[in-house]
Amino acid sequence: MGLIQREIERAGVPTIGVSIVRAYSERVKPPRTIFLKWPYGHPFGEPFHPAQQRVVLAEAFRALYAIRDPGTIIDLPYKWKRERYDDKDIGAILPRGPQ
Amino acid sequence: MDLGRLKNRFIAKIITRFPSLADRFVIPYTPRDSLAVPWTPVTKSLDQSTIAVVTTAGVHHKDQKPFDMRDREGDPSYRVIDLRKGLSSLMITHDYYDHADADKDINVVFPVERLKEFEKEGLIGRVADLHYGFMGHITGRHIPALTTESAPAVARKLKTDKVDLVLLSPG
Repeated sequence: MGLIQREIERAGVPTIGVSIVRAYSERVKPPRTIFLKWPYGHPFGEPFHPAQQRVVLAEAFRALYAIRDPGTIIDLPYKWKRERYDDKDIGAILPRGPQ
Repeated sequence: MDLGRLKNRFIAKIITRFPSLADRFVIPYTPRDSLAVPWTPVTKSLDQSTIAVVTTAGVHHKDQKPFDMRDREGDPSYRVIDLRKGLSSLMITHDYYDHADADKDINVVFPVERLKEFEKEGLIGRVADLHYGFMGHITGRHIPALTTESAPAVARKLKTDKVDLVLLSPG
């Protein structure tokens, strides 16, 4: 995934990648990454859990605007099922725009 | 289905359940070390931006040729995913992770319904019509095909589609 991300960024489109294998991202070095220590095949969470999926999406956008150093990996604190997602304020996670 | 594919699917199920085993099965496939990191600054605000997803979770339309699972070095080709055809037109071909949950709800790997909600709520500008699907797990001789042919081809298409931001999602 990271190799594709690098080529898109190289072509001039800003990218954010969601990683669940940190070792890959460390070696391939995509420009911007959020990392979740979650099961493979579940980068946005569990099926039919829109609140959880929305949180990851919002975090991806926040990282897209927050990361300043190329190659940064942001480790997200969410603990898979041991976390409440429906009370998270999406508007507070989302970026306000380029600063 | 041949024995090699069954073995890969079995390993994928085990790794999903016991991620610590991944070090043995997955990490050795890591393609290579990269040095310089490409960089494009973000200049447009989120609520003005058109967003596309590029996924390596093996997502494609049912009427498209599935990814090649017999080649041990993967399949570096890509599929154009047209959201106007509806989510029921999509399927996943990928033996290297357990996509049982993603088969039930594609948003687990390809969160386009959540993106559509964000669009409706005015949080993002627009969800692009066209998205791009790859199959991860590309190694060996296919890496140059990926980095010099199919990935740059998708990058050009994203520019033609006037996409401002790209979200990458794995399997």
